Amino acid sequence: MSATSAPLPTLDVSQTPAVPFGRLVSVELRKSFDTRAGRAYSLSVVGLCVVVMLVIALLFDEGFQDFSDFLLAMGGTLGFFLPIIPILLVTGEFGQRTGLVTFTLEPRRPRIVAAKLSAGLIISLGVLVLAAVIAAVGAVLASLRGFEVSWSLEYSQVQNFVLANLIGVLIGFALAMLLMNTPAAIVGYFVYSLIIPTVVGIIGAFVGWFQDLTPWIELNTAQTPLFTGDFRPSGEEWAQLATASIIWLVVPLTFGILRLLRAEMK
Amino acid sequence: MISVEGLTRTYGAFTAVDDVSFTCQPGRVTGFLGPNGAGKTTTMRVMVGLTPPTHGRVTIGGHLYRDIPNPGRHVGVLLDASAQHAGRTGREILTIGARTMGLPASRVDEMLALVSLDDKEAGRRLRNYSLGMKQRLGIAHALLGDPSVLILDEPANGLDPAGIRWMRGLLKGYAERGGTVLLSSHLLHEVEIIADEMILIGRGRIVAQGDKKTLLAGEHASTLVTSLDNRALADALVARRVEVTPAGDGLRAECEAVEVGRAALEAGVVLTDLRTGSAGLEDLFLQLTSDTQRDAVAPAPATEGHLA
Repeated sequence: MSATSAPLPTLDVSQTPAVPFGRLVSVELRKSFDTRAGRAYSLSVVGLCVVVMLVIALLFDEGFQDFSDFLLAMGGTLGFFLPIIPILLVTGEFGQRTGLVTFTLEPRRPRIVAAKLSAGLIISLGVLVLAAVIAAVGAVLASLRGFEVSWSLEYSQVQNFVLANLIGVLIGFALAMLLMNTPAAIVGYFVYSLIIPTVVGIIGAFVGWFQDLTPWIELNTAQTPLFTGDFRPSGEEWAQLATASIIWLVVPLTFGILRLLRAEMK
Repeated sequence: MISVEGLTRTYGAFTAVDDVSFTCQPGRVTGFLGPNGAGKTTTMRVMVGLTPPTHGRVTIGGHLYRDIPNPGRHVGVLLDASAQHAGRTGREILTIGARTMGLPASRVDEMLALVSLDDKEAGRRLRNYSLGMKQRLGIAHALLGDPSVLILDEPANGLDPAGIRWMRGLLKGYAERGGTVLLSSHLLHEVEIIADEMILIGRGRIVAQGDKKTLLAGEHASTLVTSLDNRALADALVARRVEVTPAGDGLRAECEAVEVGRAALEAGVVLTDLRTGSAGLEDLFLQLTSDTQRDAVAPAPATEGHLA
């Protein structure tokens, strides 16, 4: 058969444009809200912000109800839960095996990675905006209680709020691609955000030189200046943020992307 | 249209696909047949870029799959009907596919109608689908972009007999309109009826390929016959130098059916049953893949043996 068969006809693909990137992003956005689990998660993150806001606005004593206080509280809450949104966006392709279809309809995987990253960032920014609105509602509620509420906000606070959450979202993204498994990636994120800072803190308490080293190599510690003091990290603190980000963000993200690009979709 | 060239895929020491080459022509249904674990799925996964090959390559219409822009518009793929999010409805799964490919929403309704999933079924979540419904949805998904090439892994799995007949008609019609169809199966009967061309694979290697006639050409003819006077017929056949052995109520003659008919006509014997006694594709298939089967193919049970 193979020896005698006529030359195979070719497929004319010159008239077919590639799938536009914007369409890939919009499909990824749709995919993160078209299941009950996907909707429920995003809603519960927002719901949690509302609960935290209500507790601070209605139950706390006066003195913690400035708009910037609410924003910090929102940032703290989202820091734990926002990164799970990009994790679900990536690991769902493996857990539910939808990757088989996703990567057949767009075999150029870097485009899918970029589309997922964009969708994850769009959703995260959307949640951050909602959180800011919730923080504002909290400040209004507190002033209705007769508290004195300051609305002043510095640019650096907004920038830090966005920056810290973006770092979290990107780390979630990196872990999801590295581990390709929902529970593992979520646990991995909590190990990174809860256990590692604790362990590093304990070691630092006993080993003096390690404590000095910590902000250079541990990203949670390096981010502390974003939330404390005058919210303006010094040059050295920015440098620490940069080196710790290389270790905890750039390296895992690079290996995660490489792994996803080469992975065999089962 | 599909060209597999010297494809090998190894996993460590295990060779899943071993130097496999074949082609699929447009206007024909090519059946890819082999026992479980023979390498069918791996070959198909390499075709669509989900698994990188160790050696060799696959082109579709002269292109590597990853070089085809918006591939869903050219190549319809169904590898695993269950590989969809269990929490999405059937309609939503097709909608995501249609959106990615840039198709109008009406295409989703057309495909749902084509595979006979009604509105209520389309609105159910995939976890509530039977395997047969998932399979129909998967075929609808593969056909969404109106592709000219179809690659289907075990598409008949889970379909009821009416469903299998429906799919057969669908794929036949698709090939008659010039489409290229490659479908895999571990069930010979499924493929035998629909495929114009067959590729038999066992333990990662191609053991035979060609159309049904070519595959059976090497087999010697054998005919089973029953008549009102078997003895006279046997004599007539022996006179024609045909080897005859008793078989059940009748005879087995080692020749074509037409020879038996002529002998019966000459001897004036009335035939009551005449059919081919050739081993057929099934035996050929089992024989060709015998060393690759998980279960030893049992020879015809011996009647004289006693189990003490």
